[in-house]
Amino acid sequence: MALLLAWAGLTGCVTATVQEVRETATAMATGDSIVVLGRRSQPTTDETELDFISCVANSMSRGQNALNVLEEQQFLDATFPWFEPRIAPLNHTELPSIIKQAPLAERLDEMGLKYLVWIEGSTQRIDSGGSLSCVVGPGGGGCFGFLSWENDSTYEASVWDVATGQAAGKISSEATGMSYVPAVIVPIPIIARVRSSACSSLAKQLKSFVVN
Amino acid sequence: MIALFLKRCAKCAIASALAASALGCAGAKVAVPTAFPVPQVMKVSLPVGLYLDEALLSYVHRESLEGQGDWEIELGSAQRPMFDNLLSGLFIGHRPVERLGASHDDIAGVLAPAIEELQFSTPEQTRSEYYEVWIRYRFELHANDGEELGQWNLTAYGKAHQQNHAGASAALQSAALVACRDAMAFFTQQFRKEPVVQSWLGRELGGSA
Repeated sequence: MALLLAWAGLTGCVTATVQEVRETATAMATGDSIVVLGRRSQPTTDETELDFISCVANSMSRGQNALNVLEEQQFLDATFPWFEPRIAPLNHTELPSIIKQAPLAERLDEMGLKYLVWIEGSTQRIDSGGSLSCVVGPGGGGCFGFLSWENDSTYEASVWDVATGQAAGKISSEATGMSYVPAVIVPIPIIARVRSSACSSLAKQLKSFVVN
Repeated sequence: MIALFLKRCAKCAIASALAASALGCAGAKVAVPTAFPVPQVMKVSLPVGLYLDEALLSYVHRESLEGQGDWEIELGSAQRPMFDNLLSGLFIGHRPVERLGASHDDIAGVLAPAIEELQFSTPEQTRSEYYEVWIRYRFELHANDGEELGQWNLTAYGKAHQQNHAGASAALQSAALVACRDAMAFFTQQFRKEPVVQSWLGRELGGSA
């Protein structure tokens, strides 16, 4: 039992870095809200994982200085079609012409939307190696070998001020980590939680960025 | 004992091969969800009619892919809620009409959509991470006296990353739903720019079009 608990606690090392570029001052008042959106351009390119977007949004809405974060799909439905892949503004300079559309302006006002955060990026496996084989026989079985792989997460969040239509700043989050599975009879996974680390560091930085 | 072990292994190998083969040929059968948003745009100050024929309301795309089994995308049941929500966002009022070519005093015109073609692709075909769906719609616009004013095409596109969904069915359904939403977004953005719509709006609304 103690051995099992020890295995469960084993995680690989992750190196995470966060960088911030601020362009304007930011602040959140009571009743203000923020939304985190994944950039889904129409041509087939790398798309940010849906669970990464929800991870960042959930992390920002919890803990100390929790923010009022709108759920992505509810926001897309309430503002349809202005943030659909075909129409969504690619640059903050396109935002003022969109948000002055009367029905959309009313919806945004009702939501108290203060900042819009676009997230781009993904997590990729950049290296892997080793081999592992398992054998099962009438008298029992076991695995022997060693597997390893390296994951790299690179995400960038652009924060737009909805009221002014200006870019408030950018935050980038990078994380890399190596996972291992050594096996001598029983495989012992030592997993580096790279995406989770990128999510928590990006959410933490975004939270402190908007509340300034 | 060794013979028994080898026999069991052989059975395992056959079972595994059959399971892998079945999974590889599974295909998918999906229906597009029927919940759609309403466009948040300035409404045209005209009431219109909506004609949805049986071919559209029962539209199903079936295709067999070599080595990937049979695939089915049911779009028909989503068409009425989709166009109801689209027109309720774009016009001050709309109602269904039973047939094309008839005269109607209470509406300014009739819109009649049809699906000309649907195509889809799987990650195995494109060597990408995406399920993709293309839908080509044809729209006819009729005046309120029944005369056909013209028609235009619109091609909508949707994609879904396979890692975001649990299996082929969920991903294909998501891609088809995204394509339907794209059709609504594209129509909302473009319909005032279509020459046939421009001249119809100019005639019906005068200088306020």
